[in-house]
Amino acid sequence: MITEEELDNLIICKKCHTLHKRVPLPPNKKAFCSKCDILLYQNNPNILNKTLALVIAATISLFVAFKFTIVTIDIQGMEKSLTLYALFMVILEQHQYIVGVMFIFLIFIFPITIIFSMLILLILMKRKKGGYLVKRLLILLAHIRPWSMVDIFFISLLVAMVKLFDYAYIELGVSFIALIFTLILDIIITKNLSFYELWNLYTKIYGGVNE
Amino acid sequence: MSRELEYIRCHICEAVNYVNEKETKCRRCHEEIAPNLRLSYHKTLAFLITAIIFYIPANLYPILVSKQFGKTTTNTIMGGIIHLWDAGSYPIALIILLASVFVPLLKFILIIYLLISTRHNLHSSKVDKHKLFYITEIIGPWSMVDVFVVVILSVLIHFSGVQIFPGEGATAFGLMVFFTMISAQSFDPRLINQQKGDTF
Repeated sequence: MITEEELDNLIICKKCHTLHKRVPLPPNKKAFCSKCDILLYQNNPNILNKTLALVIAATISLFVAFKFTIVTIDIQGMEKSLTLYALFMVILEQHQYIVGVMFIFLIFIFPITIIFSMLILLILMKRKKGGYLVKRLLILLAHIRPWSMVDIFFISLLVAMVKLFDYAYIELGVSFIALIFTLILDIIITKNLSFYELWNLYTKIYGGVNE
Repeated sequence: MSRELEYIRCHICEAVNYVNEKETKCRRCHEEIAPNLRLSYHKTLAFLITAIIFYIPANLYPILVSKQFGKTTTNTIMGGIIHLWDAGSYPIALIILLASVFVPLLKFILIIYLLISTRHNLHSSKVDKHKLFYITEIIGPWSMVDVFVVVILSVLIHFSGVQIFPGEGATAFGLMVFFTMISAQSFDPRLINQQKGDTF
């Protein structure tokens, strides 16, 4: 039989499922899979503080992105703005409930849930409190991470703008810039930050036995 | 028995677990890690079939309906792509073609291949299959591009004379993407690992 410590020193690649043994790394070095070269784990001495800084920045930019106008179009003097409020109104008016609900969840509710969960999680972990809540939030994050589509929304926005380019004068709003910032931070936080490290930290801080 | 067979990666907390007949919960996050493999197989198949069914109306019904001073014109996905191509917007036409036509088809083919190959012990590399499954999960959400574009357009083009609506096709397409993603998530990577065992 194999002990917990021995299991903790093993890691399975998320892409090719090859089993690896963890080796101690010098600070700020990364370990990659031997078969598919994907990032396995890294030694990031200040991971909590760095991520918390990124998450606070992302919270601000996400707030700006959803509060103000993303783009305004002008067709022969008639103006229309893309905002979250306009989106809600149009969905209600056109009775597009299935598409509308999907859109609002994927673009608005899931990204906001992720950012706020991360914020609460990191603050709790820094203060070494609330082990049970931290665990539940980490599990919640694992479940909804694939469903956050801010990046895809941004590409769609560009496609829609190119489609309108011939007919309308397009003016970029404050939120467009905020959306780019959110996107960059989102990529750094949810794609590059390894949740493997967060779970390891969780075991280290709370001892792993928090039912 | 190869070494990989005895270990399993928890899909929630990424901890390595030792496969044990009695223990079905992850040692770290206490979430289910070893659900019924047979159930996982059938869930993947059922969601995949649902997605394929939704793919038919998604392509036949209009994804975009535009009303210009009482005159209604409709656009299906392929119609929209051909329209863009004729208008000379080649990059956009290619993005939409890739995201709305190739990505869903590729996902169907990949999931079908993974299901067949794990059931019938096709002699192909397990590492390759794990990589294919990883690709399936990564490309999944990108097919939403077309639906998002239609929703954005319907918010922006919303004047008294000229209006754009998402059509029935958009609803079907959104549901299709939803079910392919659920299907991929129901697939248990252990199905790939336990190929030779053939227990079901």
